[in-house]
Amino acid sequence: MGRIETVWVGRGGQGIVTATYIIANAAIIDGYYAIANPEFGAERRGAPVKAFLTISDAPIEDQEPIKMPDVAIVFDDKLIDLMRFVLDAVRPGGYIIINSGKPPEEVKKIVSRDDVYIVVLDAIDIARRHVKLDVPNGPLAGAFSKVMGLPKLESIRQAFENQLGKAVEENFAATKEAFETATVIPPARVDPSARPKGVISTTSAFLAGPYEIVEWTAVNKGGVVFPGTSLHYRTGGWRIEKPVIDHAKCIMCRKCWLYCPDDAVIEAWREVEGPRGRKFRMKAIEFDYDFCKGCSVCAEVCPTGAIQMVREI
Amino acid sequence: MMQATLRERQIEQKRIALTGNHAVALAVKMARPEVIAAYPITPQTPVVERLAEYVNNGELDAEFIPVESEHSAMSAVIGASAAGARTFTETSSQGLGHMYENLPIAVGMRLPIVMGVAARTYSAPINVWGDYGDVMSMRELGWIIYIAQTAQEAFDTVVQAYRVAEDARVHLPVVVAYDGFWTSHVLQPLDVPADEEEVLKFAPITRNWVRLDVDNPTQLGAVGTPEWYWEIRWQAVEALRNSAKVIEEVDVEYGRRFGRSYGLVTRYMLEDAEVAVVAYGSIFGLVKKAVDRLRKEGIRAGALRLRVIRPWPTWHLQKYLSHVEKVLVIDRSINHGGPQLGPMAVEVGATLGRVIHCALATVGMRAIDSDMIYEAALKTHKGLWVAGETYTVGLRGGYE
Ligand code: SF4
Ligand code: SF4
Repeated sequence: MGRIETVWVGRGGQGIVTATYIIANAAIIDGYYAIANPEFGAERRGAPVKAFLTISDAPIEDQEPIKMPDVAIVFDDKLIDLMRFVLDAVRPGGYIIINSGKPPEEVKKIVSRDDVYIVVLDAIDIARRHVKLDVPNGPLAGAFSKVMGLPKLESIRQAFENQLGKAVEENFAATKEAFETATVIPPARVDPSARPKGVISTTSAFLAGPYEIVEWTAVNKGGVVFPGTSLHYRTGGWRIEKPVIDHAKCIMCRKCWLYCPDDAVIEAWREVEGPRGRKFRMKAIEFDYDFCKGCSVCAEVCPTGAIQMVREI
Repeated sequence: MMQATLRERQIEQKRIALTGNHAVALAVKMARPEVIAAYPITPQTPVVERLAEYVNNGELDAEFIPVESEHSAMSAVIGASAAGARTFTETSSQGLGHMYENLPIAVGMRLPIVMGVAARTYSAPINVWGDYGDVMSMRELGWIIYIAQTAQEAFDTVVQAYRVAEDARVHLPVVVAYDGFWTSHVLQPLDVPADEEEVLKFAPITRNWVRLDVDNPTQLGAVGTPEWYWEIRWQAVEALRNSAKVIEEVDVEYGRRFGRSYGLVTRYMLEDAEVAVVAYGSIFGLVKKAVDRLRKEGIRAGALRLRVIRPWPTWHLQKYLSHVEKVLVIDRSINHGGPQLGPMAVEVGATLGRVIHCALATVGMRAIDSDMIYEAALKTHKGLWVAGETYTVGLRGGYE
């Protein structure tokens, strides 16, 4: 078998580190050597996360950031643009496994590579049905096993037992369904001697903010931080679902506004047409999608059911 | 690690997969401590959680004291150890700092406490990530200090630590450190004894240290006036110095029984080396990879890993590094304001009696790869880096 190097990208809270632990553990049960060495960024729900997993038939002592993976696994199709450098770095003939509710052909267009296998599955949907949670790690493990031919499904089951110790059957059912149903689009052409378009640089974590990566002489003394910086962190990208309001049902009780943990419920002026065609302005509830994390607290507390959560990925 | 692995295995092992933290917790469980007192802190938390689970579900019959701070954690294990119990605690970073005033007390009272440290840098700015700032701040206190490379080694070292600490020739506290995150949170394969009784057979609780006993009343931790302090303390100094022998002995016997031993230092291709990289912790695999690359290019490179830094392996370093023309120490902690800014570089230089090369890397867990280590070794070899100076690997605008 040699050595398989994989990179997993997703967001905090999606179970990405757990997924690499499960595959590594299962591969070790199969008799391989494996190492799951996540890149540890801010331990924060929703923040982009990158994790590495290497499987080999020889012991692995060099745990380093993977630069040209054989496989890239993307937990959230909204990360494709942000993480384009990861997809570009996959070796020709390698695999890109993507969790998306979009039709596989559309995902293929977004990935825009024709020299790798593209594997598409709606892992959120599968996870919701079996595990009742938005944690796509079980299904992605299933898709991984399907296309890589390892680890064995039974070993994955055992790994759930070791790593989670609970909800083993539910997670395993999700894994099995993904194993059976993931769509695999083969490459149009593979030039095995070709090198990928880029490599993943070793710079740690996600330097994706709107700031300049300055030298030590130019950073703020004592690490002071000035006000207003959180405005730069558009947490809207973290959503799996977004709230959508039906104004006809809203009684303007403002409970959603009170409970939103991110100040993302806003009262905006809306232009409406009266019964005799007269236009006037009235207050209405809207959402600031740049910062709404899609937690669905607003939909939960709304007394009239005016807010629906709609899938985004 | 590979070079030291012995062929024959006498005790049956099973292959499992664990993170470094969980490997440490498992080793502790198998060593059957009677009192555990710890306060959780990133990146050590999973150790404390797992141990609490073991105690809670009856797998480990120990008193688990969920203290309100690390200061109390160290106080509690000092008290328990003084009462004759086998003890364990674990911490990181500021947690270690909060224990500080109690750390030398464990030494002076000659208590065989075993402590894990998932190494993490000191704040500020707040950084929960790994470097060896915390561990290095313990060097002057009299504790035995191990630094493990892998989850496997962390497991093995915890078992060895109990045997060493409770040996009548030693009776000193021992810390087993390993990389925060890069070992603590990395899932790896490891072999553990199929029958965990083997651990207790290898490291039975000796209970032969000075301790409080209602039948034979004594007082521990009494005043040591200027007439007495130095002599009492000197026993600990000599014990630490002589513990190197015991550490090696225990390591060899562990190897005979469990199939793995490591030495005070680990060597890689040093025999004919003209340039050597000295490092510690999880990055040694990358160092070896860089050495392989240099060798392929015709440069006689080698490497050495510091596994035990207290007691200092003077003799080993002199034996294995004296003939090497250029020695580069990659330090993972800042020796603020020191003659060279890497703490181990200063000590290795003093041991070899000459100025050596020093580079700082992975500070605050700044990412590193084998290419960066290769570059550093190459610059040293070519004379682009000067001995006695401090260089940086990965610092923006630094000294490369
Ligand atoms: S989904 Fe959550 S974050 Fe978004 S508006 Fe509703 S309460 Fe606020
Ligand atoms: S909680 Fe529901 S009814 Fe009340 S303001 Fe919000 S959307 Fe309207």
